[in-house]
Amino acid sequence: MDSAARWTARLEIIAPLTLFACGLWVFVFTPTETEQGFVQKIMYIHVPSVIVTYLAFFVTFAFGIAYLWKRLLVFDRIAKVSAEIGLIFCAMVLLSGAIWGRPTWGTYWVWDARLTTTLLLFLIFLGYFLLRLSVQDREKEARFASVLGIIGFLDIPIVHKSVEWWRTLHQPSTLFKVQEGAAKPAMPPELLYPLLACMFAMLLFYGYLLLLRWQMEENQDQLHEALAQEVS
Amino acid sequence: MKTRHKFVIGGAVIFGVLAALSVQGLQEMTVYFYTPQEVLAAPTDFQEKTIRIGALVQPGTVEWDARSIRLAFHITEDSMRSIPVVYEGVKPDMFREGQGVVVEGRMQNGVFEAQQLLVKHSEEYKVDHNQVASKEDYYKSVIQ
Repeated sequence: MDSAARWTARLEIIAPLTLFACGLWVFVFTPTETEQGFVQKIMYIHVPSVIVTYLAFFVTFAFGIAYLWKRLLVFDRIAKVSAEIGLIFCAMVLLSGAIWGRPTWGTYWVWDARLTTTLLLFLIFLGYFLLRLSVQDREKEARFASVLGIIGFLDIPIVHKSVEWWRTLHQPSTLFKVQEGAAKPAMPPELLYPLLACMFAMLLFYGYLLLLRWQMEENQDQLHEALAQEVS
Repeated sequence: MKTRHKFVIGGAVIFGVLAALSVQGLQEMTVYFYTPQEVLAAPTDFQEKTIRIGALVQPGTVEWDARSIRLAFHITEDSMRSIPVVYEGVKPDMFREGQGVVVEGRMQNGVFEAQQLLVKHSEEYKVDHNQVASKEDYYKSVIQ
């Protein structure tokens, strides 16, 4: 727990600094994309948010399984806080995508497979928190939430593959574009490197938020237990 | 009739309606647009029906009348067979010859009357190395 607190303190400084450095790189030193112009910069928020959303819900999925297996509440707390962060980043994906879609496509929203499955992901994890709120018993809450977290995560492969499986307005993946039989980003290095840096920065930020919220959650549960003992 | 039976029947009705709606929605979702080939292969299926077609803007066919705000062009997949499209509305910024577009509207006498024109963005990103204008000038032009 102490080392978690130490790492939180470190990341509290490192993550914002890295994000700020990435902002400088993107807005000052990155060339303008030919076709889209300035709006292309939204990608540096959109794609890293996607990566964090995928990771955050994967953590919820993995710790959901871990909880059902070992029945340790610490796993459920990690699953819960990761889902919280995932939900925020999923909202950021939807919003930044809409803001980008208006000037690029000519619309904020369409009901194509990519956008619809992403909205579904958001709604599933919104439901995940409603489910948690609706159950009083802590063990029961953890059990139900773990199951929903595992099922909800299964939407992510569908979201990711939707642009290949179905005809969508959303373009297929740029980063994992298959060219001459191998996955190779369809993007010049001047645009790619800042994107990779932004992903790294956003992952650091995720790590910070996760550690911070996890410790809060631990403290909260300890407090509840202490209070319960006091009463009885 | 027992209360439980009522719940079972009610639940089945709700579930059935939901299933029917999602199947319908799923079909619409998985095929966001048709291709010109599909539309041209069975023209009668698509008459008097609002549909979306996704294709490329055929180069050399774009006619933009800024005075009457009317955009006419052909869409094609293979440059062999194309569908003429008319769109009454502002030309989107990203609209270019050879660009992928999705048009929503109806076929009327062999001409597709589009109510909505969406530009499909490609997954390719490019930087033009010859055109490195001053960043400051560029940002100013964006703000103004």
